[in-house]
Amino acid sequence: MNSFKSIKSLGRAFVALAAISLTQAQPSYEAPPPSLEVIQDAGERRAAYLARVNEVYDWRFSRIDAGGPPAKLDLAVITMLLERNQRIEECNQRVIEMMETPGTGPFWMFPSAIVALAGQDKLSAEARASIRKAWRTERQLRGDTENHWTMYHTSLYLMSELYPNEPGETWYTGNSSSDNLKEARGWLIDWMDITTTIGQGEYNPTHYIGEYAIPMLMLATYAKDPEMKQRGHMMLDWLFAELANVTLEGVLRGPNSRTDDSSVLQRWNSLSSFFSWILFGNTPPTAGYGGWGNYFAAIALHYQVPEVIYRIATDRPEDILQHDRARTRRMWRYSDEHMPAIYKTQYLRHDYAVGSHQGRVSDAIQSHVWDVTWREDDPRGKHPTMYSLHPHSSGRVMQMQFSAYPEPMPISVSAEGKPSYDAPDKLVGCSPYEKVYQNLDTVIALYDIKPGERFEQVNGFFSKDLVDLTEDKSGWIFARGGDTYLAYRPLADYHWIPHLEYRQLPSDAGYKWARDSTGSKVLASPHVKNGTIVQAASVSEFATFEDFQKAMIALPLEYSLEPVPTVRLTTLRGKEISFTYGEAPIVDGEALDYTEWKLFGGTHLNAEVGGRKLTITHGRLQRVLDFNTLTISDTVTSGK
Amino acid sequence: MNSLKTFLILIALMASTTISTATPEYDFYICAKVNRDYVIGSKVETVNGVFKRGDDGSWNHQGYNDTTLTAVAFDPRDRNVVYTSANNGLWRSLDGGKHWRICNDWDMTEARHVAVDPNAPDHVYLSLPDGIAVSTDRAQTLVRRENGLPERGKYTQRVTIDRTQAGRVFAACEVGVYLTENGAESWRCVLPTKEMVDDIQQSPHNSDHWLVVTQSAGAWSSQDRGLTWKQIEGVPSSHALYNITFDPTDPQRLAIASWGLGVLTSEDGGKTWQDRNAGLPEPHRVWRVGVDPDGRLYASVHKQTLFYSDDFGRTWQPDTLKGSLVNYFLTLPKLAQ
Repeated sequence: MNSFKSIKSLGRAFVALAAISLTQAQPSYEAPPPSLEVIQDAGERRAAYLARVNEVYDWRFSRIDAGGPPAKLDLAVITMLLERNQRIEECNQRVIEMMETPGTGPFWMFPSAIVALAGQDKLSAEARASIRKAWRTERQLRGDTENHWTMYHTSLYLMSELYPNEPGETWYTGNSSSDNLKEARGWLIDWMDITTTIGQGEYNPTHYIGEYAIPMLMLATYAKDPEMKQRGHMMLDWLFAELANVTLEGVLRGPNSRTDDSSVLQRWNSLSSFFSWILFGNTPPTAGYGGWGNYFAAIALHYQVPEVIYRIATDRPEDILQHDRARTRRMWRYSDEHMPAIYKTQYLRHDYAVGSHQGRVSDAIQSHVWDVTWREDDPRGKHPTMYSLHPHSSGRVMQMQFSAYPEPMPISVSAEGKPSYDAPDKLVGCSPYEKVYQNLDTVIALYDIKPGERFEQVNGFFSKDLVDLTEDKSGWIFARGGDTYLAYRPLADYHWIPHLEYRQLPSDAGYKWARDSTGSKVLASPHVKNGTIVQAASVSEFATFEDFQKAMIALPLEYSLEPVPTVRLTTLRGKEISFTYGEAPIVDGEALDYTEWKLFGGTHLNAEVGGRKLTITHGRLQRVLDFNTLTISDTVTSGK
Repeated sequence: MNSLKTFLILIALMASTTISTATPEYDFYICAKVNRDYVIGSKVETVNGVFKRGDDGSWNHQGYNDTTLTAVAFDPRDRNVVYTSANNGLWRSLDGGKHWRICNDWDMTEARHVAVDPNAPDHVYLSLPDGIAVSTDRAQTLVRRENGLPERGKYTQRVTIDRTQAGRVFAACEVGVYLTENGAESWRCVLPTKEMVDDIQQSPHNSDHWLVVTQSAGAWSSQDRGLTWKQIEGVPSSHALYNITFDPTDPQRLAIASWGLGVLTSEDGGKTWQDRNAGLPEPHRVWRVGVDPDGRLYASVHKQTLFYSDDFGRTWQPDTLKGSLVNYFLTLPKLAQ
């Protein structure tokens, strides 16, 4: 049982919703991209937010009759009906029916808990009893990842609070309500403590944002204990402030603790875009309103996006530069630390974003380490990204982070919904043989792949959406993506292979996949000593594309690959960088000291390591989330 | 105390006697995952967990349906007291599996193994990805006892208790075999390794004889109660060895499950080893081997099913529990009817 498997469930939900979505209108999904105009008035912002919430409701309600109620009611739409106090008898029937075959684990726990909570005063006694019985008879699994545990413990906490003073034999845990409450509360507070002191393990995820946001909204909405209610609210703000800060026009940018083959390329097509849409209204929602996103929408009216966060997402008068910390997934073994630090750099401009992380293997399977992504007027169907990686596949590295044996796991991962994991042309993943340094919009990625590793090559992604792709005799590859000029310098010989995406086929026994050409291509460089340099710039900075190319070619650049890759260059921004694999980067003569990095340090988000306090700023607005005192403080500086 | 003595005598008898196949004098249990494609979030389609073999060879499910069980243990004084290690940690039943309780708090997860000290049956040992927890009150409470284990490197795949001495326990850890002789008050390393120790077993024939298998350092043997160890020649270090078992009917017969090597057996006490994969599906990825007190050898093959052999691996037949992946085999004296 491994973390990647939850993607499978998520995928199923998306597929199911996407399939039925064809028959019902999803206005914002089908319409042109939304206006990017910043809504100044608080009342109008709230109204726009609620209109988006209502759009999800309307779509789900329109499906009920089309699908033939009550058989097609799921727990998300039941929650919506309960919130609206509609068709309660149908909800009762369907809940009773569904509780006859309850699921196991956090992906069943949180939907059933939401229904129990939303329906506590509305569902019939029989329907409520059916949920309560399922929580007694069906053994629930905690899972094995941060998002599993968040869903599990939030659900257990709220259900135990809803049914207090009940003995152990009435719960699947065998423990009393008060013991369940104590256990769940203990985990939740520990998670919040870790997150607000050394960072999240599953930071900036393309999909898993829902697995955190929904439980925190549940906590903020339904917790009876005012402390847990406040904590839920504060964590929601914390998560959404991070989300806002690393999106460009609503699309989440790299790096990502966890992503997948599709979302790492088609950056818009992830659950994070649903959250950008519903919270900020600045990108279209994904198909089916994000699948799990329906659960957030169902109770979304209980949350108000703070103006300062809204403005970080939508109002960008200046570039964003952040140097932040996070942590790896837990290292069970083969590591000198349990949760080593990750150092993230994010640089977001009007036309493009550059992001990276440095440090250890963040997640053995699903990490995305760095990229340059550009803005597209309509991001749907686009591959607006450029990056390289070592396609690392290793049971031993998986063993670091999973309580599993190393040999079967790569096979299982590939067979159970992550088909690219053990493929040489894969484009998602983290390698211990990749070291990255980013300075503003320059990225240097160096590779020193241990001979004998499963795949001795580096893959660079070149989008179908690039134009004017030019392989210059200087060794630079130039291209334009949107309004962004890009220069890519491979440090070893390469050849081109087509990019083949994975298409799931119907199957009664496990996953089956076909591979189709997308029109994008992969720079494959089969050398263990290797490297990539990428520089981005706005089209508006140069008179012509040729001028950009000349400027790049003129930059001082020296590199060698033996004994280890090393690069000395001056960036387009005038920084003199020396970077050798395995050593601290030297910038303008000074070695970088990552230990000095804050938990958040930059344009909009600031927090000290160990501080439990996040300061969110935009212009004159400031919100401080202080977990030491459990307070939210809003201030506005004087305009004078 | 009398029942405990009876239990130990029965174990010893079973270890030294070939038992008639007519009516087994023992109960044979496995922990199996049958729901092959189960993932967190999906519906459990088939029954999983603890199965007890019936007299007719069929497998009868016991207790909860849980896809994640890694081991089962019983209180030797009272078979109604059952412990299982699983994803959620340690589960305990006091009524023969009718009701269960999670015994650990949130800070213990993904338990790898559970064992009850036969000489101190209130003492329960739980191996975890980040150490070892111990209960001295039948799992009513659990505390970590890791004094002497390394700060890093205490991933513990298994705990095995010396049946001759209360509180004498071996832990198969990331960086070696650790021993406590005081009920986990303190641990010391008796066999250092660079990578995981996957299994440690005490001979049912000679309590001084112990065997260990590892991920990348082959198999090891100790003849002095686990204090000193010698690598077993003839067992390759090239592939991960997942578990090892003695044959309770014959002190010369041993079997190893390996990823890549499949089933290895020895019939001369470990001096020579044979590949016993003929008749098993390829590739030879054997998850676990076990031997029942009649000498029947079992092999759980990854992505396949459970197989058994009545000639110690020379020929194989598929077992009735189709599609199962067995994590654990356990033999106990048969309960009085």
